[in-house]
Amino acid sequence: MSPAVRKVVLPVATFVTFIALWQLASVTFEIPVYLMPAPSDIWGGGQGLGLVLFDHALQTLNTIVLGFFCACCVGIPLGVLVSVNRTISEMFYPLIVFFNAIPIIAIAPILVVIFGTDETTRLIIVTLTCFFPIMVATASGMMDTPSEMLDLARVAGASTMVEILTVRLPHAVSFIFSGLRIGVTVAVIGAVVAEFVNANKGLGYLVTSSTAQFAIPTATACVVMLALISVLLYQAVNWIHRGFFAWSIKTDAGD
Amino acid sequence: MTQAPLRDPALTLVARATPPAPKPSAERKEPIIELSHAGVTFETRKGEALTALEDLNLTIYREEIVSLVGPSGCGKSTALRILAGLQPLSSGDFWIGGGKTRQGFSEVAIVFQRPTLLPWRNVLDNVLYPARVLRGRATKEDKARALELLELVGLAEMAKRMPHELSGGMQQRASIARSLILDPKILLMDEPFGALDALTREDLQLDLLEIHARTKKTILLVTHSISEAVLLSDRVAVMSARPGRLQDLIEVDIPKPRGPESGALPAFHEYSRRIRDDIFGPRKRREVQA
Ligand SMILES: Nc1ncnc2c1ncn2[C@@H]1O[C@H](COP(=O)(O)OP(=O)(O)OP(=O)(O)O)[C@@H](O)[C@H]1O
Ligand SMILES: [Mg+2]
Repeated sequence: MSPAVRKVVLPVATFVTFIALWQLASVTFEIPVYLMPAPSDIWGGGQGLGLVLFDHALQTLNTIVLGFFCACCVGIPLGVLVSVNRTISEMFYPLIVFFNAIPIIAIAPILVVIFGTDETTRLIIVTLTCFFPIMVATASGMMDTPSEMLDLARVAGASTMVEILTVRLPHAVSFIFSGLRIGVTVAVIGAVVAEFVNANKGLGYLVTSSTAQFAIPTATACVVMLALISVLLYQAVNWIHRGFFAWSIKTDAGD
Repeated sequence: MTQAPLRDPALTLVARATPPAPKPSAERKEPIIELSHAGVTFETRKGEALTALEDLNLTIYREEIVSLVGPSGCGKSTALRILAGLQPLSSGDFWIGGGKTRQGFSEVAIVFQRPTLLPWRNVLDNVLYPARVLRGRATKEDKARALELLELVGLAEMAKRMPHELSGGMQQRASIARSLILDPKILLMDEPFGALDALTREDLQLDLLEIHARTKKTILLVTHSISEAVLLSDRVAVMSARPGRLQDLIEVDIPKPRGPESGALPAFHEYSRRIRDDIFGPRKRREVQA
């Protein structure tokens, strides 16, 4: 088997076996659906929802992607600021760490009270959940820049801004993408939490509402959908990294 | 040559010593770099003061190649970093260039011991980097010149390659091409050939002599190799062990153009021996004292 084929066949085989065993166990031990739905039950739950499932999934996907985008817009510049200016770093870093230490799940209901029960609040919750890893990764990447490269920029007469744009940021790209990979999975969690506390649509809402009616297979189908979305987004970040910043992967491997 | 007034803000960072009055350009010995009583003291992590350089005096004249040799840790790199504007002085003064505003690599260019190419840019763009920094973008002329320089250092075919595709020697050649892109008056080189194998090293030394013969730049070269210093330099400045100061200044009077055959001249060995004595002599004396 060629390595490329192995990379697909082996995990798929494991996955199929896992599902089959799960199904077998559910049937042979007659595990009640409300304790642990069998794969067939989950499939049925999803089928029962039909296109509605995708409708809710799109809503959640929308919240995740927008919130993640906001987190990038906040996290990357903040990471740059914190790493470049010592005063700013000393002033704001502790505050940011403190904000990050607050469990988002705990303040989500409070945020709903403050900002109301609409999409804005959900976006704020997603942004707050996932900007921190992005910011920290950006800052570490910027500060990791080899001093010789900075010397080069300085002798060439680069201003701080030019130095950031031509040396520090490009060097930080592989770090930033590590942050984005973490950030995007955390954003999924943020979106679900946001929909738990405040939504009349979306997979998170569907999980709570169907659980309330003991429709466990339906809720589990939503969870599976969320996992799929998470994997998809993670891969999307990887694709962007490989597609547009291939050089940074090369240097990564070299170190 | 016009002299900018010294209160020019861009200048005060780098050049505080007063440039000497301009001499007629016909005269060969026109100072272009001056270190006077230069001292640098670092603070170690434990808070102790570490004097890297003390009272270093050195004048370098236009179109000269001067080598800086001395025991490891004596402050050669520090001296070079002062002149490049990367290291502030703790005491003393220095002055570099025609007293004009510094304009990146168009005035003073540096070659580091390691190639220091930007891994996300191809070789051509790396060579163009100083031009991009200076003007915001590279002009057509810049590009033509960059290709010319790559040709000069034997990398014409590598222009579109990424740095990691080049060998160490090739990368260092690219960094030498980069240092020349804006036609600087002064070239500062910190052990530019140090990390290279003997063959590449010899090749690049000869390249440098050729570049110097063609472009008449002032070159200050830090090196660990005594024979390299003798082969390349008009003068060799020998520094003492830490705290570094000037121990000897040797005028190398070997006929030009020099080449591999220059190494066979008796004078070559005379100079080499004198430098070696300068470096190792004091240590022996210290042993006798102890
Ligand atoms: N940033 C720094 N902080 C503290 N000490 C430093 C720093 N840079 C250099 N030094 C010290 O200053 C002294 C001179 O360093 P420098 O790099 O100039 O030596 P050098 O002559 O170039 O040595 P080598 O030939 O090994 O390259 C050394 O003892 C070094 O430990
Ligand atoms: Mg050194």
